[in-house]
Amino acid sequence: MATILINGQEYPLPEGEKLNAIQAAQRIGVEIPYYCWHPSLSVVANCRMCEIEVGSKDPKTGEIRMVPKLVPGCQTPAKDGTVLVTDSPKVVEHQRMIMELLLLNHPLDCPVCDQAGECGLQDYSYSNGQAVHRFVEERVVNPRKEVAETIQLNADRCIMCTRCVRFTREITHTGELQVISRGSHAEIDIFPGHPVANALAGNVVDLCPVGALLDKDFLHKQRVWFLSKHDGVCTRCSTGCNISSEENRGEIWRFKPRNNPLVNDYWICDEGRYSYKSANDPSLLTAMYARIGNELGPVLTDQALKSAGQELTKVASEGGKIAAVISPFLTVEEAYLLAGYIKGLSPDAVLALGAVPVVGEDQTFTPDKVKGRNGDTSFLDPKPFTIHAEKCPNRKGVEAVLAHFQGEVIDFNALTGRIAAGEFKALYYTSGSPDLWADEEAARSLRSGVSYLVVQDTLVTPLAQLADVVLASATFAEKAGSYVNADGRLQYAEAALPPRDGSLPDLDILAILGGRSGGPVESSAVLAELAAKIPAFGVAAGGKLPTYGALLGDAPAPLPTNGDAPTPFIDAWSKTRAQIGTRSGAGATR
Amino acid sequence: MRPDDPSLKRMIPPTLKLHEKFYLPQIVGGLLVTGKHILSASLGKGAITVSYPEDQHVPSANYRGVHRLNKDEQGRVKCVACMLCATACPAHCIDIVGATAPESWSDREKYCESFVIDELRCIYCGMCEEACPVEAIELTGLYDLTGLSREQMIFDKTKLLSVFDLTRDAEPMRYTTPPPKAGPRPTEVEPSGLPGPKA
Ligand code: SF4
Ligand code: SF4
Ligand code: SF4
Ligand code: SF4
Ligand code: FES
Repeated sequence: MATILINGQEYPLPEGEKLNAIQAAQRIGVEIPYYCWHPSLSVVANCRMCEIEVGSKDPKTGEIRMVPKLVPGCQTPAKDGTVLVTDSPKVVEHQRMIMELLLLNHPLDCPVCDQAGECGLQDYSYSNGQAVHRFVEERVVNPRKEVAETIQLNADRCIMCTRCVRFTREITHTGELQVISRGSHAEIDIFPGHPVANALAGNVVDLCPVGALLDKDFLHKQRVWFLSKHDGVCTRCSTGCNISSEENRGEIWRFKPRNNPLVNDYWICDEGRYSYKSANDPSLLTAMYARIGNELGPVLTDQALKSAGQELTKVASEGGKIAAVISPFLTVEEAYLLAGYIKGLSPDAVLALGAVPVVGEDQTFTPDKVKGRNGDTSFLDPKPFTIHAEKCPNRKGVEAVLAHFQGEVIDFNALTGRIAAGEFKALYYTSGSPDLWADEEAARSLRSGVSYLVVQDTLVTPLAQLADVVLASATFAEKAGSYVNADGRLQYAEAALPPRDGSLPDLDILAILGGRSGGPVESSAVLAELAAKIPAFGVAAGGKLPTYGALLGDAPAPLPTNGDAPTPFIDAWSKTRAQIGTRSGAGATR
Repeated sequence: MRPDDPSLKRMIPPTLKLHEKFYLPQIVGGLLVTGKHILSASLGKGAITVSYPEDQHVPSANYRGVHRLNKDEQGRVKCVACMLCATACPAHCIDIVGATAPESWSDREKYCESFVIDELRCIYCGMCEEACPVEAIELTGLYDLTGLSREQMIFDKTKLLSVFDLTRDAEPMRYTTPPPKAGPRPTEVEPSGLPGPKA
């Protein structure tokens, strides 16, 4: 078996993986600090932070020969017999010197810098740097400039790691960014008149290890240590990118991508990134409404639920036909409860998939190992990123539920035709979509086709105006549940915000209507029940999903081929920070 | 400072001697001090009460009273909205809204659009003052802090800046201006001009 020697200890190397020294050390919990290396970008080794002592062990004689100079760890393959020393005085001294060099012209704006709190310079300067530095010359002051409509560059904070440049060349193939000037005057810039304008532009902000590239949308609004992070899934298209929704004081402030090598790698698109705003929309419904006489007025939650439940039961018992629209914005758990509830009222009820918004065409970014890349690409496994035209998170999930309950999937348009023809007595309509599905005219025709209408939605739509009962439901941020993306991958999203005043999460609304007893429902309990009932969801047995989600209809979830994926950059840092904490706590005097 | 810095000194707490372990000598010592104070006060010499408000109490120079927000030479608020004070505050009584500074403020990228301290929640610990990297927030010697309603005790940016104008001469900014020459610090303050319902 291939083995590697790290700091005098021998460890086995994972089979069939190409790792560099940083990754190999990370697997066993040894941190090698780095700036310019990123697991999805080519290796250029220009920051020199990761330099360590490297050598090789002769398999026959067991003799160890070290390279006389320090070697960048990001560029060192972890092979059989490789010897790494990451904590010798030579390495530690080198890291101190690199920190001093990087901070020569750095303004140390930390109090006003948006990166403070998740900044590689701050953390490594604390753990690997030194308190003093000897630079007495005048600092280079680079200008602040706009590199995109949404992105600001504070050039003086840049440490020239060129991650952003490599991203636009290697991942998006748009190449908007470049390095201008040389030496200490080197600066990141755009080509004059060509700002960064691609669908993934916002990722350069996440990539930047310091606060040089800043998102203007988030700029100066919050300090990052105030934000609580929740693992979510983006609901703006059917890719289902993994995100962390970061919230403080009941408002979402930003979305950041979360690594999932099977879906979105390290990226999210700008459309998804800024879609958090719809969760903070002040025009979201803040109360439930019911028609009393001719007037639609706000009523107490239980009153609205009771009146909807009673009326639907009455329609069913009188033999009237009920139709339900199950929105592709609902989670699979909600779709399951809704379908179960309506079918429970009357077995001949008709369930239909809500409108599926499609905008434009799928856009795929296909990086390859060669094109647009420079430096060492042997460690790379670049993954394509697709922005789907289908702008809903869960069409496949709802379809799978519908197929189970009625054997076929009826689409929204087919149902509207049947409603207009007067086939149904009552309609249960769910949406939760930020896009409008039924304009005023369509709403009027839907309304006139049925004698009783329940609308479960988050916004005041023309159809809600005409409803008999409006149930204020949760936005994507206010509910937990699972979604099935375009590839059929079932993924779990946490709730980021508590339900707004006057609203209830869809799962609770449906559980109350369906008469489920036993207090508040948990999405995992519903998922477990669903997995037991519907074979397609067998992967979610027990209500648990693996970190990277699981493919519908698959046997037990396949793990990513490269075992546990590399820790995302920021996560690696927070771990370092935890270690620093224990170290300084032990030696310092108080 | 690094944990392995050779100039770091380890402090070892002194161990208790045998008679200290009994505690009684300490208690008696404490009672003696109390008795001394009672005696000197009742004999009229060391009275420690004043006839407030006719006589004003002058707190010690490190007394921590109501906050002020300092201004720079151009009269702008010094605060850069880093929210370190709000982070450090154990009472969570500081609320700041940051914003990008106007183009004309070439030296500054960020400032506070709104700055509110709930003086009723504050415990006057001075952590905010300690945390501030630009010496923008300071606690003054003003102790006459009253209000007729809770709302009056919630100090906004305007009010906090007005406390600075009020106390500027008596209490110069601690780090950015040279300390005042000899003389007790807070005596010149006109208490009638204090913030609160009287003002
Ligand atoms: S990039 Fe990091 S070190 Fe530099 S000013 Fe921002 S927070 Fe401070
Ligand atoms: S702007 Fe950020 S990502 Fe780009 S080179 Fe500078 S430090 Fe690196
Ligand atoms: S004095 Fe203490 S409690 Fe009062 S605002 Fe400052 S930090 Fe908070
Ligand atoms: S610590 Fe100072 S600069 Fe920072 S927000 Fe508070 S008062 Fe303003
Ligand atoms: S991370 Fe290896 S040189 Fe930058």
